[in-house]
Amino acid sequence: MKGWYVITNNPLVRDKLSGDVQVIYQAVSFEGLLREVRDRVHKGNTLLSHPLSGSVKPRETPYKSVIMMDRKGAVDEQSLALIENAMQACLKFEQKAGRFRPEVDKDFQLIDWTLLESAISSIDR
Amino acid sequence: MKLEIGNIFIKDIQFASEARIEDGVVYVDKAALEKIVLEDENIKSVTFDIAKPGESVRITPVKDVIEPRVKVEGRGGIFPGVIAKVDTVGSGKTHVLKGMAVVTAGRIVGFQEGVIDMTGPGAQYTPFSQTLNLVMVCEPVDGLKQHDYEKAVRLAGFRVAVALGELGRNVTPDETKVYETCGIKEGIEKYPDLPRVAYVQMLQSQGLLHDTYVYGVDAKQTLSTILCPTETMDGAIVSGNCVSACDKNPTYVHENNPVVEDLFAQHGKTLNFVCQIITNENVYLADKQRSSDWTAKMCRMLDLDGVIVSQEGFGNPDTDLIMNCKKIEAEGVKTVIITDEYAGRDGKSQSLADADAAADAVVTGGNANEVIILPKLDKVIGTLDYINKIAGASEETLQPDGSLKVELQVITGATNETGFLRLSAR
Repeated sequence: MKGWYVITNNPLVRDKLSGDVQVIYQAVSFEGLLREVRDRVHKGNTLLSHPLSGSVKPRETPYKSVIMMDRKGAVDEQSLALIENAMQACLKFEQKAGRFRPEVDKDFQLIDWTLLESAISSIDR
Repeated sequence: MKLEIGNIFIKDIQFASEARIEDGVVYVDKAALEKIVLEDENIKSVTFDIAKPGESVRITPVKDVIEPRVKVEGRGGIFPGVIAKVDTVGSGKTHVLKGMAVVTAGRIVGFQEGVIDMTGPGAQYTPFSQTLNLVMVCEPVDGLKQHDYEKAVRLAGFRVAVALGELGRNVTPDETKVYETCGIKEGIEKYPDLPRVAYVQMLQSQGLLHDTYVYGVDAKQTLSTILCPTETMDGAIVSGNCVSACDKNPTYVHENNPVVEDLFAQHGKTLNFVCQIITNENVYLADKQRSSDWTAKMCRMLDLDGVIVSQEGFGNPDTDLIMNCKKIEAEGVKTVIITDEYAGRDGKSQSLADADAAADAVVTGGNANEVIILPKLDKVIGTLDYINKIAGASEETLQPDGSLKVELQVITGATNETGFLRLSAR
């Protein structure tokens, strides 16, 4: 499949995928990344992976990686509903990102990466 | 398929030099079990401890909870494709060490895993405060990657549970229950007037620490398929999921799935329990589409009248849950879904990250964001070093008096989405 890319705020994902896959890295918050994804959905891009992947909760993990399809045209309703619901869901959680000890940061990066990896393996299948 | 479950009621666990079961007491040979655990060279050391209901003990971070069982008649062995060789299980006779559990604990990542309190308010929220727990804390060899550590602890827990189950092979059970399902045609002929009902179980399948295995196969690589519900009683489904303690399904829950139990209780009386359908909860949206399409198609092909769908986890699986519900309802099959809620600490927010008008019959396992105080307990098995790193907890979790202010999320099984929990509503 062609035309897909990863949008992430996770430096581990950026480093792991660099060169192989188109990666857009933005040093923004979890919610900032979801907003960026939404803006891209408004431009016609579609979601290929779920924006609330993983059981580590929003605002607990600071990292999120989403796979999107670079596409222009009418807004995809399913993608729009998913990203809007995901942004709403964030509001339910206490802001804990940044309160964890620094060494936990690497674990958050790893989990986000493995969730993304499982989606990428589905694309490659 | 017909399975006899022989429950051996366990009244106590004690460490001893010779492993055996006598008068309902399990005598555990620690040295022998240690040897079994250390067969895996990725595990540096293991400590065993016993936690009994009512004791002032906190177990954390919990990875899995497993019920020891042994296959005494019929094909295959417990945990087929994982510990026993691959063979279809779910028929014959199985002995169960009822009332005890093997609890695995260990710090795999610096956040997330669960808490089991054996007394106090926390104990009221976890079903595993009621079991006699043999707790094993495994330490990895230096430099071991999280993937390998998770796998090592997962498999060590199963090996220990199987070794303990083996002690019950020649013990006469205190109680025997029989579970039997019919073939498709046989069921229609036998129960022509009863509604045909299946259980759709959604399995966590998103990646590291979010995985489930069916006969040893990673569920994210599977298509939705059919099981005879008795297969799960012999360990056909095992947990590799240790994220989101409150609403993950430990292996113990797969072995004792209350939806299966309750549907069997009604089988031949108010309904015909046709089968169990398992489906996954992948991250990739096309996988969701495919899995839910297959699930709905099978419901139609099996001429079902109704299904109960249970979810595992939060967020991403909400989408699978609603897709399953919508598509199954669209096939003319009545659907009841079981979920839990993340409704915010005040309970006022939208509970799920997805919704649809077809989801008009919903059972909830409770609000995982609800805040509770867990008082300081005398003994900790595992480590408190990371207690303020688990889901729903934060650096502010540990209060000056030693108590913990946490959301229900941190407690193992608190809002379980198969209904294997202690919460209820009045």
